[in-house]
Amino acid sequence: MHRFELEREVAEFLYREAELLDSNRLEQWLELLTEDINYEMPLRMTRERGQPDVSSQTGHFSEDRRSLELRVKRLGTDFGWAENPPSRTRRFISNIRVENTADANEVKADSYFLLYRNRGSSTQADLISGERQDLLRRRDGGWKLASRLILVDQAVLGTRNLAIFF
Amino acid sequence: MVKAEAPFPNREKLPVNDRRAQLISRLRQDVHPAEGQIPAYIFSSPEVYELEMERIFPCCWLLVAHESEIPEPGDYVTRSLGPYPVIVVRGEDGKIRILLNVCRHRGMRVCRADSGNTADFLCSYHGFNYKNTGELIGVPFEKDSYGAFDKSQHGLLAMKVDSYHGLIFGAAPGLEESLDQFLGGMKWYLDLYVKRAEMTVTGPPQRWAVQSNWKLPSENFASDAYHVPNTHACMPSLGLFPNISYAKFGYHIHAGNGHGIGIGTGVADSPTIWPETLLQQFEKNLSPEQFSILKTVKNAHATVFPNLSFLISSMTYEGQPIYHTTMRLWQPVGYDTIEVASWVLVEKDIPEESKKKTQRAYIHTFGSSGMLEQDDTENWINVTENSRRVLQLPGVTFNYQMGLGRKPMDSFPGPGEVYECKFHEANARAFYQRWLDLLLGDGGDASI
Repeated sequence: MHRFELEREVAEFLYREAELLDSNRLEQWLELLTEDINYEMPLRMTRERGQPDVSSQTGHFSEDRRSLELRVKRLGTDFGWAENPPSRTRRFISNIRVENTADANEVKADSYFLLYRNRGSSTQADLISGERQDLLRRRDGGWKLASRLILVDQAVLGTRNLAIFF
Repeated sequence: MVKAEAPFPNREKLPVNDRRAQLISRLRQDVHPAEGQIPAYIFSSPEVYELEMERIFPCCWLLVAHESEIPEPGDYVTRSLGPYPVIVVRGEDGKIRILLNVCRHRGMRVCRADSGNTADFLCSYHGFNYKNTGELIGVPFEKDSYGAFDKSQHGLLAMKVDSYHGLIFGAAPGLEESLDQFLGGMKWYLDLYVKRAEMTVTGPPQRWAVQSNWKLPSENFASDAYHVPNTHACMPSLGLFPNISYAKFGYHIHAGNGHGIGIGTGVADSPTIWPETLLQQFEKNLSPEQFSILKTVKNAHATVFPNLSFLISSMTYEGQPIYHTTMRLWQPVGYDTIEVASWVLVEKDIPEESKKKTQRAYIHTFGSSGMLEQDDTENWINVTENSRRVLQLPGVTFNYQMGLGRKPMDSFPGPGEVYECKFHEANARAFYQRWLDLLLGDGGDASI
């Protein structure tokens, strides 16, 4: 495939994914994930220059397909208070970089995100930015998300909970 | 700055102490923990918060770290001890110290990372340099600038430090009460979390900011099993808990000094949550009475006054019974905001695989993204906001009367006032009584 075409496909996949999350179509979002997805958000820390600032030990998310399904199912019950009424969110995805891998059916796709979250009548909003390091796998003529590492840009998360996805 | 017209103009003219006296007399008049009446304004008044920072946090032993976070000489973490910025550091002599993270020259923060390992702390402002024991060892251009400078009198100020089975507590230098006295009867219950085995943290704490007054989560972990069937009503439908009335079985215990614990035992004769190998270890480390209780535990939530909470939680997860232990600080950063720091505690000797499994069970259910805790923060934020909006309606009080008049058990192996059935608010009443005693300066043990 021509590089330009590949980049275009990956960008469209990521925009489509953001659209599903922003419009709370979470079951449809799950369909974009592979059965063996690994979804991680490690802690970021303030460290001296040269020291690793991503924790290899603990994180905010450490998910597989089953736990993501459980989270989505929970939000759909009558008692998913944290997101009922739901937040208004807007995910801005940019700086997409695509790289081939040894497997012809897989590509690495890194991107930046800026997530805006607003709740209730508040005029304040939570802004969460970061980078996602994704592995996409070609399946059924389209792309699926096989792995995601989310590097969030806050050591202290500035949002009340992570009842939202990245 | 344009000053808004004060609603009570005379009040603005009073010297600070008189305003303070007025606030204290208002608290004395309005707050009645023993009767289960708590005015809404204590959750959102900046003046009350100021008084708490003066009279609560400097008068309590506060958790700053777990020993397993700083195992080697030179290891440090930066934390808050109440309002004070501190470095918790294992010196080159192996001793753990809590040093005020404030340069003795101009007050700059001498350590600006969350954690690391260092032999010394070099201030970025003028270059005062301190050993990891706190001793001042370097003053740039010392002779040219000062002639002679008495370095021995200018080490980083040290806070009091003591530990309890891996938990490092600190206190303001003037506090006379020992950690042992401060914890009192709570030690018996803390042992279920930290003495049952040698415990270690799985890594640095999750940290996130929540627009909640600090007392709401503290009180919740001390006292509130009643919210579980409703706030967490989604759990049975996801197959994680057996049913929604599960939360009421067990004991509600005020351990003294405002420390509270709720021990959930589940329905009678339900199987233990602990693997056989761990039970053997627990039996060795605990008294027979403590062991008899821990064996039956399905969950246990607790708060060490004022803002340190613990939880043992168990559930059926991916078809398997799984438990985890978490410890968290509800660190106030303003009258309406806390920074939560939440650790996972695991038995040091269990296999790596089990530690990972425990950690994942925690992440999925508690902490910043946890399916249960998500709903808790929503509640605390809304209560805080509502209490701010009714601040000028002094008549709005919250009800803490559940269980008033019920008789405590007389046959429970542990100390404190113990009630059968976890749907009770005696612990919240005791928490606010202790809070009130400290604010009013009356001292004494809180007993409800």
